[in-house]
Amino acid sequence: MKINSLKNLANAHADGVWAVAWAPATQSRGALLITGSVDETVKLWKGDELEPERTNTGHALGVVAVAAHPAGTLAASTSLDSYVRVFDVDTNATVATLETPPSEAWLMQFHPKGELLAVAGGGSASVKLWNTNTWQLEQTFMVPKSEVTTDNKSSEKSNAGKFVLAVAWNLDGNRLACSTMDGTVAIFDVARAKLLHTLEGHSMPVRSLVFSPIDSRILYTASDDMHIHMYDVESRSMISAFSGHASWVLSVDVSPDGAALVTGSSDRTVRLWDLKMRAAVQTMTDHTDQVWSVAFRPPGGDGVRVGRLASVSDDKSISLYEYT
Amino acid sequence: MACVYIPVQNTSEEVRVALEQLPKDATDILDILKAEQAPLNLWLTFAREYFKQSKFTEFLQILEEGSSPEIDEYYSDVKYDRIAILNALGAYYTNLGKLESKQREKDEHFIRATQYYNKASRIDQDEPSTWVGKGQLLVAKGELEQAYEVFKIVLDGQPDNVPALLGQACVQFNRGRFQEALNLYKRTLQVHPGCPASVRLGLGLCRFRLGQFQKARQAFLRVLQLDPHNVEALVALGVMDINTTEVDAVHQGMEKMRAAFEIYPYCPMALNHLANHYFFTGQHYMVEQLTEAALAATDHVLMKAQAYYNFARSYHTKGDYEMAARYYRASTSELKTPRDFILPYYGLGQVHLKLGDWKTALANFEKVLDAHPDNCETLKAMGHIFVQQGRTEKALDNFKRATKLNQRDVDAWLEMGELLVLSDFGEALEAFKMALSLLKKNGEVIPLGLLNNIGVLHFERGELELARQAYKEALGKGIWLDFSEGTRSAVSGVPNEENQLFSSLEEEGVLIEVPAEKVTLLFNLARLHEQLHETGKATVLYQLILFKHPKYVDALLRLAAMAHARNNISTSLDLVSKALAINDKYLEGLSVRGNLELKADDWLKAKDTLKSILQITDGKDNYATLALGNWNYYAAVRGEKKDPKLEATHLEKARELYQKVLVQKPNNMYAANGLGVVLAEKGLFDVAKDIFTQVQEAAAGNKAVDMPDVWINLAHVYLAQGQFALAIKMYQNCLRRFYYNTDPQILLYLARTHYEAEQWQECKQVLLDAIHLAPSNYTLRFDAAIAMQKFSTATLKKTKRSAEEVRLAVAELKNALRLFNQLAGVRGQHVHGFDEKKLDLHVDYCKHLLDAAKVHLEAAEREEQQVRQKQEVSRQLAMAEDARRKAEEERKIQMERRQRDEEHRIVLEQEERLQQTMATWNRKRFEVEDNDGDNNGANEKKERRKEKRKRKKEKKSRPQYSDEEDAQVEEEVEDVRPETPEDDAQDALAAAFGDSDEEAVPEPRLKKARRRQALSDSDEEGQMSPHRSPPSDVEPVAEVRRRHSPSRSRLRKRQLSESESE
Repeated sequence: MKINSLKNLANAHADGVWAVAWAPATQSRGALLITGSVDETVKLWKGDELEPERTNTGHALGVVAVAAHPAGTLAASTSLDSYVRVFDVDTNATVATLETPPSEAWLMQFHPKGELLAVAGGGSASVKLWNTNTWQLEQTFMVPKSEVTTDNKSSEKSNAGKFVLAVAWNLDGNRLACSTMDGTVAIFDVARAKLLHTLEGHSMPVRSLVFSPIDSRILYTASDDMHIHMYDVESRSMISAFSGHASWVLSVDVSPDGAALVTGSSDRTVRLWDLKMRAAVQTMTDHTDQVWSVAFRPPGGDGVRVGRLASVSDDKSISLYEYT
Repeated sequence: MACVYIPVQNTSEEVRVALEQLPKDATDILDILKAEQAPLNLWLTFAREYFKQSKFTEFLQILEEGSSPEIDEYYSDVKYDRIAILNALGAYYTNLGKLESKQREKDEHFIRATQYYNKASRIDQDEPSTWVGKGQLLVAKGELEQAYEVFKIVLDGQPDNVPALLGQACVQFNRGRFQEALNLYKRTLQVHPGCPASVRLGLGLCRFRLGQFQKARQAFLRVLQLDPHNVEALVALGVMDINTTEVDAVHQGMEKMRAAFEIYPYCPMALNHLANHYFFTGQHYMVEQLTEAALAATDHVLMKAQAYYNFARSYHTKGDYEMAARYYRASTSELKTPRDFILPYYGLGQVHLKLGDWKTALANFEKVLDAHPDNCETLKAMGHIFVQQGRTEKALDNFKRATKLNQRDVDAWLEMGELLVLSDFGEALEAFKMALSLLKKNGEVIPLGLLNNIGVLHFERGELELARQAYKEALGKGIWLDFSEGTRSAVSGVPNEENQLFSSLEEEGVLIEVPAEKVTLLFNLARLHEQLHETGKATVLYQLILFKHPKYVDALLRLAAMAHARNNISTSLDLVSKALAINDKYLEGLSVRGNLELKADDWLKAKDTLKSILQITDGKDNYATLALGNWNYYAAVRGEKKDPKLEATHLEKARELYQKVLVQKPNNMYAANGLGVVLAEKGLFDVAKDIFTQVQEAAAGNKAVDMPDVWINLAHVYLAQGQFALAIKMYQNCLRRFYYNTDPQILLYLARTHYEAEQWQECKQVLLDAIHLAPSNYTLRFDAAIAMQKFSTATLKKTKRSAEEVRLAVAELKNALRLFNQLAGVRGQHVHGFDEKKLDLHVDYCKHLLDAAKVHLEAAEREEQQVRQKQEVSRQLAMAEDARRKAEEERKIQMERRQRDEEHRIVLEQEERLQQTMATWNRKRFEVEDNDGDNNGANEKKERRKEKRKRKKEKKSRPQYSDEEDAQVEEEVEDVRPETPEDDAQDALAAAFGDSDEEAVPEPRLKKARRRQALSDSDEEGQMSPHRSPPSDVEPVAEVRRRHSPSRSRLRKRQLSESESE
């Protein structure tokens, strides 16, 4: 298990790159890399050489998140102005513009079957679920107001603490997890549209979380407390904690084979973790500023034996790695 | 059986006397000798026989009878025998005198000896044996020069006189002329090959003194061959054996000493050596016995000094330092100069060192060093004393010299390392490593402490991997290895999960042991993992320590600190309480608790906790003093009560406390930083800047210290003084260096600086980054909106701008509007505490501005169109022109030539005029300079006045801003106060200081329990900067002013109040 740097594309954007996602391969083309930057553009790249495919404009303020539909044809991007723009990956035609004023939109993820788009709802302390056919708001999952850790002082700001940052669907699409600024991780039963419980362990923002692609119970969370936690969401128990980053862990993704984690951190490194050994096995230092997002390429497409991994950073660059 | 025959008078018969059976009473013999008128030489024979049998009274009786006047008369013609008897007596008394230790008796013996020799001389003054006797007497009396003369007289007459030769050799030997002595002994042997063994002894001693040890040894061996009981030879050989310092030889030497002792128990040298031997075998009783015997047997100073030394040494080892000192001193008092025998001085030094009398010890060691400047042990001992006296530099010098002289001295390296830790980690590390490699080479046990020290030093230098290796080596095998290497993983980073892991492991039969001597190492290893951000491993190791050593509070505290770092305050407090339950006077624990309470906004509790520390330590705990200083500072700038007096009191108190710390520890960076803050707070920016700069330099020089606060404070000062570029650089460096660019608060400061510098776009960019980091901080969005609004306003204000610029301005305005709207939208949730009215105002303003901008945009676009048209026209014109130009070109060339001539003429004229006016110029220049001086003065005055005003304003305005947001905003909107940029900066500074100093938390403990203050009240403060920029910058947009009356009225008010304040 290891990753090799293939390419570091300097100045991929005019400013820091905050978001990365892979649009899966379709019949007509291979997988595309989608990046979003504070320079207000979304860019698409193809191949191992990261040839620029297209630059999407239209966002105001920095692009916070990009997400791709599992079919590979649709993608969504959102920016600090809180609009979610859904567009056709191949034509850049705007499919929908989603807005839930007055709250923000933060990170997003499509349902594994593609029926829904979950958007972290920022200050609304909720996750919004949009129907990907009608582009109507289907569901709103509220994050519980602080319960256990309530003390008088923090309750005033508890709402700020419940700013929802990230969402993740599990393998089966029946569980949705979201995380907040105060470290709460909430697990929802999607079918019954209700909160199952919250997971304990973080007291600082959890900016990224991801379910295992091979075990629908396993969730990984990345937090400003420099730790990555591994939870069993059904039993509410923490299975393991990974430490080693020197600063905030900003992003986490699991390899398609479910055997490795990759994390990006403010400490400018990308780390590869062996889940069997539960230890960091590699540290990549391609970037010179915080690594805001990491993403494994989903399997599929032609001739794709080996895995690909991309990381983006405030240093304006994109790095591509081979995962074997 | 030897017999002597006394001839019977007048017969041929003889009386046979067996020498072994001499009558007990010498009178019997005397009667026979007298009766038979035996020849005098028989008398001598009998006397000698008695002497040999140690019957000295009988010996004397016979000789004295033999030298009586009666006999003299009777045997008056037997000169030689009479002289021989007298000389024998003289020699006897000489010997007595030599052996006698009491001066008076000694003298008496010598006098009698002299009398006998003189009597002998009177019989025949040329008798050589008498001269020889006299010479020996002089040698015994120590009058070597005279002895030399006397022997010379004999030798001049009889060059082969053996006794004279020997006597002369002895004299030469004692005069230190060993080669001459050797020659004399050689001659003796030539003359008299069968001479007694002792002659060869002299030979050996000369060789020995001349350093010809091999030949000396041969000589001594020959002596022993001839006389197996020769003590001197035995001792000499023994000494030579011992001096080889080879184990076997020393052993043989000791055997010889013992043999010598058995033959003759009164030889002081043998006694001393034996004592020495028993000292090393630890038989102190024997040492005392032998030493006493030696002291009784000799009055030779060196022998005595050695004997006393042996005594002292014996007491020394037994731990009786007083007695040891007494005997050492006795030993030294025997000596004329320390150079003769240095050891007792060293002993004295050691004993005084033990007794704590450094001065005396030092004096003695100095004497030793005087005689042996390169003695490592002494250098080390002195170094040790210097350390105790606090003379670090001198101590270091000594150790450095010692290690240079003897590179293999482990102790010196170790002690030097310890010393260097105070000053230079790098060199200390080198010293320790040297000691380590020496120990390893010698195959000795390596002390854990040494490895630990090496580890810690590597740790301090940031060489974490090397530190890990050192700890690992020291710790050896154990359960910790599994955790540290990650082969056995513990579940979680949950810090207060108790012991279950280990209990269950024990149940599984895994041996869990933490030896007491390894706890510290384990703790350090855990610290190392912490530093490597491997908190999981660190946690397990701390828990392992606590599992076996539940009272190891430091581990609890580290767990608390780790929980704190993860913002898990309640767990952290629990752990600290646990530590304090074990030891309620645990200062570190109390300090952490105070800090945590402060963080939890529990002001009064925090103050109590900190004060309790000062109670315990009698007010001497710098940390607590410093923390209280900070406490007072926060209280001052927090301004819960709007009492400026109270604020001043708090500030003053803070200053006092900081200064108190600085008095005790002048290089406490945190206290200096605090002082700088207070001074800046009072407006003394230049002084504050000096302090901050110094602290920053000091902090940069120390790798173990991270002090971002001082960078921030320095930047604040730059900001306050309007040095925006410097401030920006400082903030940026600080962010990157200490925070991995993750601190939204500093980003806010940075944005603020850009704002002050009117760099709106940069300001916005920074704020966007900050929003991305802290999306739930709505003030950042507000600020970003303000920045965009400002940008648009500024762009539209410009007289010359492109349509593109206007378009951008409009786009930004739209973004601003959206943000304001969004903020207005979330107002119901009370998440940020903005004033609704104010938000509305901004929204309205942006809308109006947008409308206005439309016109601007149209105008700009029209303009652009016109410009484009104009360009088209001019292009066509240019083409026409071109044609004409070509036609004219030739004519032009001609014209130019003529012109050039003309110009030349003019230049000449001008030069002439120039020279004429030269003189007047100088005068004029002076005038100009005078004027400049005046201007400068005026400027200065103005500036000073401004500064005064600044300060006044600061006071006026602070309570206003430190209020709750709602009130604050309202006030601002209602009766807009005069706002000058300086004023803003001041407040920004106040705000900025307000929280960055929370982190200015003190030093030594910091390493152990570094506490990071999250910026709990950053929201309030963040807002200050945007609030300062109300939507009143409307002047340039005429339409707005007309349509939007509220802002206009505000505008007028503002102008009014401004003129008032002027």
